[in-house]
Amino acid sequence: MIDLVQNTIDGVMIGSSYGLLALGFTLIFGVMRKLNLSYGPSIMIGGYLGTVLYLQYGAGLLAVAGAVVVGAVITGIYVERLCFAPMKAGAGIASMVSSFAIWMQLEQVAILILPRHTYAFPALATGLPLEFWSLLVRIDHLIVLCCALGLAAAVQLMLYRTRFGLGLRAIVGNPVAAHLVGINVQMAVLLAFAGASAIGGVAGFLVLAVDQQITPMFGMWATLKGLIAMMIGGLGSVPGAVLGGLLLGVLEAHSQWYFGPHIRDLVAYLVLFAFLVLRPGGLLGGAPETTTPLKA
Amino acid sequence: MDDYLIGVLSNIGVISFVALSAYLLLLTGEISFGQQAFFAIGAYAAGIATALWGWPLAAALVWGAAIGGGAALLVGIPTLRLHGLYFAVATLAFAEMVRILFELFHYQISIGGELVGPNGAEGFRNIRYIFDNNIDAFQFLLLIYSLLAVALLGFMLLERSRIGVTFRMIGEDETLAGLQGISVARHKILAAGIAGALAGVGGGLYAHLTTYVEPRIFDVMLGVHSLAYGLIGGLGTALGPLLGVLIDIGLLESIRILAGYRMIIFGGLVALLLIVRPRGLLDEQVVYWISRLWRRIFARVRRSRLNPRDRNV
Repeated sequence: MIDLVQNTIDGVMIGSSYGLLALGFTLIFGVMRKLNLSYGPSIMIGGYLGTVLYLQYGAGLLAVAGAVVVGAVITGIYVERLCFAPMKAGAGIASMVSSFAIWMQLEQVAILILPRHTYAFPALATGLPLEFWSLLVRIDHLIVLCCALGLAAAVQLMLYRTRFGLGLRAIVGNPVAAHLVGINVQMAVLLAFAGASAIGGVAGFLVLAVDQQITPMFGMWATLKGLIAMMIGGLGSVPGAVLGGLLLGVLEAHSQWYFGPHIRDLVAYLVLFAFLVLRPGGLLGGAPETTTPLKA
Repeated sequence: MDDYLIGVLSNIGVISFVALSAYLLLLTGEISFGQQAFFAIGAYAAGIATALWGWPLAAALVWGAAIGGGAALLVGIPTLRLHGLYFAVATLAFAEMVRILFELFHYQISIGGELVGPNGAEGFRNIRYIFDNNIDAFQFLLLIYSLLAVALLGFMLLERSRIGVTFRMIGEDETLAGLQGISVARHKILAAGIAGALAGVGGGLYAHLTTYVEPRIFDVMLGVHSLAYGLIGGLGTALGPLLGVLIDIGLLESIRILAGYRMIIFGGLVALLLIVRPRGLLDEQVVYWISRLWRRIFARVRRSRLNPRDRNV
């Protein structure tokens, strides 16, 4: 019983980082209706920038965090300008493949910057885990959870309580009509992309600081986990992204505990597949559009 | 030909099968991140058939195609309702499940005092059919390319047939196709099945080419690459995905000077190319121009044969 509760707590903690990754992903997808495969790799470039500062110049934790976010945002803007902005409306597949090509490029850049497989990353919080009735909670995990909930609330407020959010939702509804009523669509999309990359940067920093290491596989990992959590939670839904991340984390924690890492990954993909086939809208998303959002 | 060239060409030929498989689904308007699953299934099925059961290569390749196609049909049915990103992610999830299952798959038989067969994440070694039967690399290359030629011929015929036109029509507008009385579901499942079988043949050839397969070869990277080949080469003709493979493996393998910067240059070039040509180099428009030009030349030649006086015109 205590295992069950402890595993669930661990799952929620790990799941909050998935939720953060999904949050940025869902913001990009919600606004553009296009899949950005370079999402994880751009975060990774930020992570490598932070690692360089940490290893070469002994930068502190906050400086590293800033570097990760700035690196992710700059790379995100580069991806948006190259893969999304110049594409004609409706060339969704081309954008997706193009962002995949840039993924390859970014991975190579990361390997050129730091050629070894693993590098150390500064720890978020050291110290003994907190103990509540013989249940252990790591402090750094708690910080991640708070960041996830806080950022999700901020994004939700931004979307539904500000003028900029209203503009973004207008673009989601109909980009042409949004343009006609005077919204600068290009600019708003770019800002949304940069914001999503910043959220991804925060997520990436937290994950790396909890793991205390960075590898070139991080980009692929971030894209896949974010994608799964986003699809389970429901495309374009902010609370859905967090909830999907938490659900994924809990499922992984339990299946890892009972069956080991192979079955853990299998369960994650199985749940994703089942959700897509039985309830494509995810936990909190509406029914998917009848028109194909990613047509070439 | 030297061994290196044969190796590169064999690789291009084998990967072309997965690229064609993803291309066929692109024609019906679906993006699949998961064709590597059927490639993997074909590779394991054909490898087991020759190495463990002692089947001849031809039977093993047919078996790999059948299993790959059958698996694709089975996945095609539940994913039928899904479109766009949903379909893409569902195929990705399926392919990753297949990869993980192969990491857990153990099936070994002692042959000549040596354990042979898939051994989980360790992979499947000693698929020695082409050594045991004295088939040299060049002969195997010929086999790959003759099968590829058959596949291409099949595509050429398909694109001129009613079914092929229907596939493209479904890809353009599924609702409209349905309203015209076309059974969209049946055609999509058929396309998925053919695509799975194509990937299965490719996998069977791959297993015998490398004599060794392991689950981590068949990861998402292979899937997204095979999808990208069609987009780079062009969606207008089945030669498009082949051109894509040729550009990626052929051109970049040969430019060894760029080692270390290869993906930086290639990635940037692909991104720029897709801005100018979102449906690839050989897209429908280019294919139409070429075929029109070809028909004009052909018509002129025929006219001059019929009426010799026109020759001077």
